[in-house]
Amino acid sequence: MRKKLATVALVGAGAWLLPYGLDSYAIHVANVILIFAVLAIGLGLCMGVAGQVNLAQVAFFGVGAYATAILTTKAGLGFWVAALLAVAATVAVGLVVGTPALRVQSHYLGIVTLGLALAFTNWVTNAQVSGGAEGISSIPGPTLPGVDLDSEYLYYYLELIVFALALAFGLFLVRTRLGRRMRAMRDDSLAAGALGAEVPQLRMTAFLLASVYGGVGGVLYAGLIRYVAPESFGIANMFLLLGMVIIGGRQSLIGCVVGAVSLALVREGLTDHPTVAQVAYGAVVVLVVVFAPTGLAGLPARVRAALARRRRQQSAAARLGPFQPYPAAGIAPSGRPVLEVTGLTMQFRGIRALDEVALTASEGEIRGIVGPNGSGKTTLFNVVSGLYRPTAGQVRFRGQDMTGSRPYRLARAGMSRTFQNLRLFGDLTVEENILVALDRSPTLASWRYLLGPISILRQDRTLRRQAGEVLDRYGLTEFAQSRPRSLPYGIQRRVEIARAVAAAPSLLLLDEPAAGLNGEEVRQLSEIVRSIRDSGITVIIIEHNMGLVMSLCERVTVLAGGRIIAEGEPADVAATPAVIEAYLGDSMSTEDLPSVPEVTA
Amino acid sequence: MTALSEPATSTSQALTVEGLTVHYGGVCAVRELSFSVPAGEAIGVIGANGAGKTSTLKAVMGLIPRRVATLRFGDIDLSRVNARSMVRHGIGYVPEGRHVFAGLPVEKNLLLGAYARKWNAETHATLGQVYELFPVLGEMRHRLAGALSGGQQQMLAIGRALMSRPRLLLLDEPSMGLSPKLVEDILAVLQRLRAEGLSLLLVEQNAKLTFEATSSCLVVENGEVAMSGTSADLRHDPQVRRIYLGL
Amino acid sequence: MQVFLQTIVGGVSLGAVYALVALGFSLVYRTMGLVNFAHGNVVTVGAYLASTFYLSTKLPFALAMVVAIGLTGVIGLVIERVLRPLENRDFDLMLIGTIGFGIVLDALIIMIWGATGRAVPSPVPSAPLDFLGLRIRTYDLVVLAIAAAATVLLVLFLSRTKRGAAMQAVAMDHEAATAVGIHVGRSNAIAFMIGAGLAALAGGLVGPLLYVSPALGGTLGIKGFAAAILGGFGSIPGAIVGGLAIGILDSFMAGHFQGYGELFTFLIFTVIIMVRPTGIFGERTVNRA
Repeated sequence: MRKKLATVALVGAGAWLLPYGLDSYAIHVANVILIFAVLAIGLGLCMGVAGQVNLAQVAFFGVGAYATAILTTKAGLGFWVAALLAVAATVAVGLVVGTPALRVQSHYLGIVTLGLALAFTNWVTNAQVSGGAEGISSIPGPTLPGVDLDSEYLYYYLELIVFALALAFGLFLVRTRLGRRMRAMRDDSLAAGALGAEVPQLRMTAFLLASVYGGVGGVLYAGLIRYVAPESFGIANMFLLLGMVIIGGRQSLIGCVVGAVSLALVREGLTDHPTVAQVAYGAVVVLVVVFAPTGLAGLPARVRAALARRRRQQSAAARLGPFQPYPAAGIAPSGRPVLEVTGLTMQFRGIRALDEVALTASEGEIRGIVGPNGSGKTTLFNVVSGLYRPTAGQVRFRGQDMTGSRPYRLARAGMSRTFQNLRLFGDLTVEENILVALDRSPTLASWRYLLGPISILRQDRTLRRQAGEVLDRYGLTEFAQSRPRSLPYGIQRRVEIARAVAAAPSLLLLDEPAAGLNGEEVRQLSEIVRSIRDSGITVIIIEHNMGLVMSLCERVTVLAGGRIIAEGEPADVAATPAVIEAYLGDSMSTEDLPSVPEVTA
Repeated sequence: MTALSEPATSTSQALTVEGLTVHYGGVCAVRELSFSVPAGEAIGVIGANGAGKTSTLKAVMGLIPRRVATLRFGDIDLSRVNARSMVRHGIGYVPEGRHVFAGLPVEKNLLLGAYARKWNAETHATLGQVYELFPVLGEMRHRLAGALSGGQQQMLAIGRALMSRPRLLLLDEPSMGLSPKLVEDILAVLQRLRAEGLSLLLVEQNAKLTFEATSSCLVVENGEVAMSGTSADLRHDPQVRRIYLGL
Repeated sequence: MQVFLQTIVGGVSLGAVYALVALGFSLVYRTMGLVNFAHGNVVTVGAYLASTFYLSTKLPFALAMVVAIGLTGVIGLVIERVLRPLENRDFDLMLIGTIGFGIVLDALIIMIWGATGRAVPSPVPSAPLDFLGLRIRTYDLVVLAIAAAATVLLVLFLSRTKRGAAMQAVAMDHEAATAVGIHVGRSNAIAFMIGAGLAALAGGLVGPLLYVSPALGGTLGIKGFAAAILGGFGSIPGAIVGGLAIGILDSFMAGHFQGYGELFTFLIFTVIIMVRPTGIFGERTVNRA
C-alpha cells in the first residue's frame, strides 16, 4: 500500500514538473496525449470493463468538440457554459448510440456503433452549422481569472487536473460496486442477470461513461486546438484509439493510459512517416492480440504467473474449510406456495422440450427434480428463471405472475440459481463473485457516485464485511483473492452455491450441484443444502445423483421427454412403474442395478 | 451384408493406454489412467457425471491437451498422431451429445464421415451399409441433421463414425437423452458391431447399457480408476453402486 | 414512377457489389464463425491491384481481375495464418486482430499507391441501353452478371464439393470435424482465401463505378457488412438480398438527402438491426445456460 502511494506521488510529481523540461512544441504534444488518454479511459471503461464493443468513441469525442465549437462561436456562449452543455449533448448522443447494445452484442454492436460514428462524420461534413468540410475555426478558449489558459503550459495543468480526476474516478468506479457489476456482466452476462444485475441498464451505463469521457476529451480538444474539422474524428483516429486500448490492456484503465501515451509518442516520433507509424501500430495490435491478449498492463501478471509456475511445480493444495451451518430460522414453514408453474410448454424448432409442465413448490421444502438426460430439467429452470420465454403456460413466483420476466427482475424478486456448467465470473476474485451477489442496490442508484466517494465506500465496506462472513461460513476464506478458474472443481461448485445464497433469495434453484463431486463433497453438499433450507430458503434441486435426491428431498418430481411422469415422496416415486421404465431402467426390481436409490442414505 | 469394419487382422490391433493425465483449466480431470482395448473386444468406462469419462475419450483422440506415457494402437504410436489423423489409423469417434453437423443434410453428414477416404463406389457401398443398419437415416437422407430427433441424431453420429470403416470405435455417452426404448436400439447396434469384430471403447453413464454391451469395464471416479473387472462381475458388485452414486 | 424505377436501377449495380462484399463476410462467418473487420481494406487492395494491372500493365480487364483476385487471396491466407492461434478460442480478440490487420493494410495501401485516388474507365465503353424508358449502363449489367456467376459458383462449391461440405462442417462443429479427419486450420485458410478473393472481385468491379481511393474499402466494407447482417449473417441468399437492399436504399437516400445519404442509410440500418437482429434469413440462436 505504501509502495503504491509512493508510486502515485512520484508519477504525480513527475507529471507536475514535466512542463519545465519541455519546449513549446513538446508541451503541445503532451496536451494532445492527455486528451487521448482521457478518451482511452472512456473506451476502456466501455469495452474493457463492461465488455461493450464501442467503435463510436471518436464520435463522442467529435460531438464534445463540435458542440463546444458551435455553442461558443454560433450561440456566443462562454467556454465553460458551452463545455457543460457539450458534455450533456455527448451523453445524449452516447445513450442513443448505446441503445443497440440492448438488442445486439459483439460484432453486431461493433458494426452498428461504427456505422453511427460514420453517420456523425457524414453529418458534420455536410451540415452548415458545423462548417462543412472546412470545420469551425477561432473557437474562443477557456478563461480563468488570474490564469492565462492561452498559454499551452498553463493549459497543460488544466488538462492534467481533469485527467487525474477522470482516471481517479474511473479507477474508483472499477473497484467499487458499479464497476464490479459491469465486470461481472462482461465475464458472464447470463450469470450476472441471474444474480440481479440489470444488464440493460449496465450496458447503457457503459455507453454513458464512454460518452462522458469522450465529451470531456472533446471539450479539452476544442479549447486546446481552437479549431475543429471532420477528419479529426474519422475512422483512422477511432482505430488509433482502439489500438491504444488494446495494446495497453483493455481491462486495466492504467493500461489504457499507458497504451495511449506510448502509442501517441510512437506516432509523434514517426510524425514524418505517418503511414509507417500506422503499419507499426497495426502490427503491434495484431501481435498483442495473438501473444499477449491482456496487453502491456497484463504483462507483469503474466511474468509473475510464469515465474510462480516454474518455482513450484506442485503447490500444496489449499484445503476447503468446513461449512458452518446457518442458524435455523426457527419459523415453521407456512406451506404457502413459493413457485407455481402451470401448463408450461417450451417449443424449440420442432422439439417440444417442455410439455404442459405443472409444478408447485411450497415454502421451506427441498424439491428434487430428476429425469434422464435431455428430459427438459434444465430447460424448466431456464424458463422459470427467465432465460427463456415459454411458448405457453404461467410461472407464478410468491403469488405474482412472473411469466417471461427478465432474469434480473426474477432475481430481485428473490429467485437465485446455479448453473450446470458453472458460470462463475472468471476474471473476478472469489470475494468479488460473492460481492456481486450481495450487492442488492439498484444500478440506477449509481447516480450517488456523483455525490462523492464517501457513501459508496461506506456501503462497500459493509458489503465486504458481509462477503467475509459468507466466505467464512462456506470455508472459502483461503480462496478469497483467487480467480475461480484456478481453483479445483469442487471448490468452484461451492463458490457458486455460496454466491447464489449470498443474493438472499427466497427460492434457490440448484442445477446438478453434485456433478463432478466426490463422495465426501457430496456429503458436505447435502449438509449445506439442508442448512440453507433450515435458514428459510425454499430449494429446488435438479440432480442425477439419486442417493442425494432420495436422502435430501421431501418431494421428488420426475420429468421424462419434457413431461412430468411422477411426483411424490422419493420412496413412492421410485416405485412408480413409469419412473422405473423411463429413468431407473427396467432392472430396478433386481439387486444389481447401480442406480438403485438408497432411500435410507 | 459385408462387415462395416475392417476385421482386425491380428491381436496387434489393440489400443493400449498407459499413464493418461489431463489437466482442464487448472483442474486435474484424469489422473494416470491406464487401460487397454484388445482387438475385437468391447471395453466400457462408466462413472458419474464429471468423473472424467469424456475427458478420457477426448484425450485419447488428441482433441484436448494431455500427457500420456504410452498410447498405441497395434504398432502405431498414437501419442504423436494429431486428432485429425486418428481416423486414418482406423479410429472412429462418436462425440458426446450427438455433435452432428446440424446445418447439413443427413447424407452429407455421413459422407463427411468418410472424409479421409475417397468418395467413390466403395464409399457409397459403405453408405448403403449404414442405411441398412439404420434404415431411418435412409428415409431421412435429405433432411437437415439438426431437424432429426435425438435418437436419430445419435444414430447419425454413429453412422458417420462408421463411414470411415474404423477398426476401433470410441463412443461418448451414446445413451444421453434417449428414451429406454432407444437405448435398447443403441445397445442392439453396439452388439451387432461387436459381433462383426469391431473393437469398442464405450464411455457411459448408463451402467446397464454398458454392462450389456461390453465384456469388461472400468469404473472411474474423480479421474481415477476406482474399480475394474469383467462386466458380468461388476454388475453384481454392490461396490459399483456405491462409487456410482458418489456416496 | 419513372424516377422511382430509375433510382432502383441506379442502386442495383452498387448493390451487387455490396452483395459480393457481404458474401465474403458471410462465407468467412459461415465457415469460421468470425467477422473479418479487415475485409473492407482487402476490398481496397483488390481494387488497387486490379486497376493497376488494368491501367499500368495494360492487361485486359478480365485478366487484371484474375491476377488481383489471386494476389488478394494470398493476403487472406496470411491473415488467417497469423490469427490461427485464436481460432475457436476468443471471438472478440480475433475481431480486434482483424481490425489490426485492417489498420496495417490501410497504411500499406497509402504507402504503395499514395493517398490520392484514381478513376478507372469502364472496360465496356458503350452507350447506356434504353429499356422501357430506363437508362441502364452496360457496365452495370456486366457487374450484375459477374456477381450472379460468382454467387452460383460459390453455392455450387459449398453444396457440391467435398471441400465445401467440409468447410461448413468445420463451422458447425470443429471437434467433430477434426474427428472425421478434416484439417480445420486448412479449411479456415481456404475460407479466408475465398473471402479475400470475393473482396478483390468486388473491389475490381467497383473501380469503374466509383473513384478508387484509400477510403473506398471503408465504405464498401461497412455497407457490405451491413448487407450481410441485414440479410442474416452467414446466409448466402441473405447476403445477396441484403446487398441489393442496401444498394437500393443507398440510391434512394442519396436521391432524397443528397450529402446526408450515408447518415440516413446507417440510421435506418441501425433501426432494422434493433428490430430484427437476426436479419431477413437469419436463424435465431438460443442462449444456452
